[in-house]
Amino acid sequence: MVKVYTTATCPYCAKVKRYLKSKDVEFEELDIEKDPAAREACKKLTGMDWAVPVTTIDNETFVIDYDKEELDKLLCL
Amino acid sequence: MKEHIKKDVVIIGAGMAGLTAALYCGRMNLNTLVLENGLIGGQIANATDIENYPGFVSVRGGDLISTVQTQAENFGAVIDEFDEIEKVSLKSMPKIIETQENIYEADVVIIASGMNRRKLPLPEEKKFAGRGVHYCELCDGHAYDGKIIAVAGGGNAAVDAANFLTKYAKKLYLIHRSEFRADEVSQKKLRANDKVTIMLQTEIKALRGNKKLEEVEVLDKKSGETKTLLIDGIFVNIGVEPNTKLFKDELQLTASGRIPAGEDCRTEIPGVFAAGDVREKQIRQLTTAAADGTTAALLAEKYLAKLKETI
Repeated sequence: MVKVYTTATCPYCAKVKRYLKSKDVEFEELDIEKDPAAREACKKLTGMDWAVPVTTIDNETFVIDYDKEELDKLLCL
Repeated sequence: MKEHIKKDVVIIGAGMAGLTAALYCGRMNLNTLVLENGLIGGQIANATDIENYPGFVSVRGGDLISTVQTQAENFGAVIDEFDEIEKVSLKSMPKIIETQENIYEADVVIIASGMNRRKLPLPEEKKFAGRGVHYCELCDGHAYDGKIIAVAGGGNAAVDAANFLTKYAKKLYLIHRSEFRADEVSQKKLRANDKVTIMLQTEIKALRGNKKLEEVEVLDKKSGETKTLLIDGIFVNIGVEPNTKLFKDELQLTASGRIPAGEDCRTEIPGVFAAGDVREKQIRQLTTAAADGTTAALLAEKYLAKLKETI
């Protein structure tokens, strides 16, 4: 399952979500502002205190920000 | 195999200028496509409180732009925010815009590609990007709740970012290499906040830290004194540069990299218009971007009508 770590106000998070929807990719959204466990998981994954949007498919490889090329590679689009 | 698609108007950029042009073109029943590979809204997508756009006491950039987007789409304009332009040929008839997925042929192109934010010109910037160096206060501001934040820059975007970040910061430094360029109203709001220390005529010389940013070294240009500030994060708003790389072989650009075009937004190439911050002009405001979008669209329609008469 694809996971996207987000915050509610981040415009790039919204763009990543729209992109995944446009490609019919199902994903779980985790708001790191509201969910401390998600924030910890995102921190563990990226090594960064705070980074959004982060898209991951296996909790090992991930893409930070809206980077179409990298997202396409990660999700084999 | 890329598909060839015919359009009356292709608008490059979905900031205020581009979306206003799209709204007008759509309303005139022109077959209109907007291509945007960044954020819809451009620079104002990140703006927190806009207080100088007529009709609104205060409005979030994202909310304002989403309304203009809806208006444009309601009139039939199509906005593609995922396809990326690879090359353009503006002198041909029709004009060709080749993207990763399609080849668009259009009689009119309105360039409203706006500006990109400048990065902090220090070698350590890359090391600390996302680890203390940030460019989007709406995205990353919350991470610095109760922490010490710096904002680099002295224009409207920097001062607005600083004002927004005071809600999280325990202490906030605004560091700018020269004098303020921001509106007096925003400056006044920032100066009134006792969490804020304003450091003008101050240059950032180095970023330091182990895994993440821990301190910045700054030079007070007046006294020549160097200081180290302990900070948790810095938000960079040190200006913008025109997004015109794609057009440099097609159009003559000004020394600042913008597109020369008069108040009528016409460029040196018939059927090619430049609107918004990408056009060389004195005043760059949201209102003037909307005005440019309007002008470009209305004159594009006249150009198209004339073109049809000659065929």
